[in-house]
Amino acid sequence: MWQKSLNHRNLSEEEERNALRKAPSLRVRFIVGGVLVIGIIASLAINLIFDYSQKLADLSYDRLLRSALLQMDENVGLIRNEVSIDIPWSAFATLAQAEEDRVFYKVESLEQGFITGYQDLDSMPPKPPVLDQIQFYNQEYSGELVRFAWVERYLTDPETAQTVRIVLGQTRLSREEMASAVTQKAVEVVVFIALVAITLIIIGSHLVLRPLHRIERALEERAMGDLTPIDINTPKETHHLKVAINHFMARLQTNLEQLENYTADAAHQLRTPLASLRALAENARDNTSADNTSPERQYQTLENIVKQCDTLSQTVTLLLNQAVVSHRLQTHRLEPIELLEPIKASCREQAVTALHQGVHLSLDCELQQTLILGDSFSIQQMMQNLIENAVRYSGLGVEHATEVIVQVNEFERFYRIKVIDYGGGIPDIEKERVFERFYRGRYDIAGSGVGLAMVKDIVDHHSARIKILDTEPKGTTFQVDFAKFTFNEGTT
Amino acid sequence: MKRFFFCMSLMLSVSGAKLWAEEPVWFGKEDALRVLYINSAMDLASFEPILTEFVALHPDIRVAYRDVNTLELYYQTIKEQKKPQASLVVSSAMDLHLKLVNDGYAQTYQSSFTDRLPEDFKWRNQLFAFSLEPIVMLVNKKAFPGNLPEDRQSLLQTIRQNEKAVTKRIGTYDIRKSGVGYLLASQDARQADVTWGRLLEAFGSHDVQTYCCTHEIIDDVASGKLVLGYNLLGSYASQRARDDDRLKMILPKDYTLMLMRVALIPKSAPNAEDAGIFLDYLLSDKAQGMMQTQGLLFPIRPDLNNPNDPYVVNAPGPTGVIELDQQLLVGRDYAKQKRFIRNWEMALEISEDD
Repeated sequence: MWQKSLNHRNLSEEEERNALRKAPSLRVRFIVGGVLVIGIIASLAINLIFDYSQKLADLSYDRLLRSALLQMDENVGLIRNEVSIDIPWSAFATLAQAEEDRVFYKVESLEQGFITGYQDLDSMPPKPPVLDQIQFYNQEYSGELVRFAWVERYLTDPETAQTVRIVLGQTRLSREEMASAVTQKAVEVVVFIALVAITLIIIGSHLVLRPLHRIERALEERAMGDLTPIDINTPKETHHLKVAINHFMARLQTNLEQLENYTADAAHQLRTPLASLRALAENARDNTSADNTSPERQYQTLENIVKQCDTLSQTVTLLLNQAVVSHRLQTHRLEPIELLEPIKASCREQAVTALHQGVHLSLDCELQQTLILGDSFSIQQMMQNLIENAVRYSGLGVEHATEVIVQVNEFERFYRIKVIDYGGGIPDIEKERVFERFYRGRYDIAGSGVGLAMVKDIVDHHSARIKILDTEPKGTTFQVDFAKFTFNEGTT
Repeated sequence: MKRFFFCMSLMLSVSGAKLWAEEPVWFGKEDALRVLYINSAMDLASFEPILTEFVALHPDIRVAYRDVNTLELYYQTIKEQKKPQASLVVSSAMDLHLKLVNDGYAQTYQSSFTDRLPEDFKWRNQLFAFSLEPIVMLVNKKAFPGNLPEDRQSLLQTIRQNEKAVTKRIGTYDIRKSGVGYLLASQDARQADVTWGRLLEAFGSHDVQTYCCTHEIIDDVASGKLVLGYNLLGSYASQRARDDDRLKMILPKDYTLMLMRVALIPKSAPNAEDAGIFLDYLLSDKAQGMMQTQGLLFPIRPDLNNPNDPYVVNAPGPTGVIELDQQLLVGRDYAKQKRFIRNWEMALEISEDD
């Protein structure tokens, strides 16, 4: 039987639109994800560019500063034991390449003090001073951030020795200009690349999802009841989807075929007793119209109608039970139950009916606890069918058998239920077929032909085993083994 | 009638200026709404028509013009940095002005006129050049012994050959007193160190006369007291040479220095707005044209249609434009300046306290 959506209903067009609107879109997810990733990468890149362009500008202009500083340094000397400096014009011509930047400098000697330049300039570098090692640093001066180059040198001649310190700085205007020019260009490129990538993602998402739309359209455009496989060319990535849909449709077709068969058989099952009921009723009517009928015969005819009604009612009940059972098997989870409970219940229920047919039903069991994993209702139905079957077949044969025994025994890993009758027995050839739906071994006995098939379904669902054995000296024994339930097993 | 009034007031104020040097010369209506003070190291004669035209164009501005020596101008601007009197400071000492800007005493100004100015003629949008003139020698034709010199070499030769005639009769700036004089001397030393050394030596051995201001040198050359003035501003020299037959202006053939006149607006100028208006006016085609046609100054972009115009520089040799950039700071380096002036004093045999 099929699992169906419990509250299946046809959605109105508006509801469908709403659902569509609420449903997460693969394409939007794809695009949003892509845009996010690209945005993060782009912002990282831009961050790096900002950093890098600053460094680049400092690197290039620090070279000018260094060159100017070295030119100044070269022109420092000792004249008459005094430090003197003759700043070369070229030093400042070098600095003038940073066209708009102000220049500040200071030359001093540790022994002699201020020599030239801007006296209030702080000549202490941020890092500990090392002789002959040029340091670059930013420092506020004259209301602006200034990039300074700093060097300290030791001057010596036979009579004196002095430590000379030169600080040369220029404002950062050209550096900032260069950095922002570099940044702007690079940011333009990054933004352009990001936009191109986003465009590609949007186009790509459209292209990637197109095969899905094609499959969708192929399914939508199908005629009602067309379950043939989809036959359109799709890329590898959607090939499996297509195959899955085709498999699904094949399964659906099998199920539909089964349903058709079942419906046809069920109709047949109901038609036969109805036809015979009608025949009996007609017979009774004819008997009533004929005057010469004896009351005994009339009674007999009506009795037949009542019997036939019972049979029909049984068949209907069976079919309904079967529907209920298969529904339960689909929807109810198996849970730990006492196996004896449904067995006892069905025995109690069947005992009177069996006695009516002259059969004595007995339950032979000494067990107290019989825990299995199962569905109580289904097992009761199974037992009912087996017992009914046994009682029914007891009436066959030359000698009327008078006993049906239900046994429950415990084995190491399972419980074994035996339903033993002493009726006519089942020939070996038929044993294999009794579980087939609508197979009836003997058409002279009432029965729907679905009872044992249902038993088989229930047994299969419980992962149990069923066997048909011969009873000694004659008759049939149905033997069902249910695995024991242990708590360990249940928890794992 | 209006013009007449201006002329009258001008003549009055010019005469007034001579009597009280500290008092500014006024231009424009007395009841004008705003007053623009200009401190300038420029002879009024070259500036007068330009100022007159300005107040005619802007009747609501009254201009107070004070003539100050270049060096004084520098110190005054620093001294008055908190509360400057002048809103526009004009000078020919490019180096001092550039140092003022470098040291943060000027404010930024930008307009369509300053934007039009070539990059070489402005710095940081704080310093603006409005004229470019040659540095010349001026000779008294009658008094000068021998052939007129065409470059520094021939000047040296003449000095050597006519020792008596030139002794005490060559005039130049006192570089200690004149900012522009120092700038020109230091640029000479930079352009041609050896020639400069020889020239200085020759000046020293022939008792060169030193002056604070250009017009005094020109006066003495005209009167015959001097035979030659060295390193004079072209605009003044050409004005006088045009009117005075005795004088001849010579652009040295070996190299001719080209000097810019520059203006800046002090940082906390009281009337920066009108200073900007005046600066725009100075850079406008109208004022630039007036400089050339009326023979006041050498404009930055002279109208080249008239090749014989004395206000179009036709230097016989190479020109050395004094660049308006950070290099000027080198000349004003404390140690370098001290040494340069000491050398100059030694060469000219002038004692420090002279």
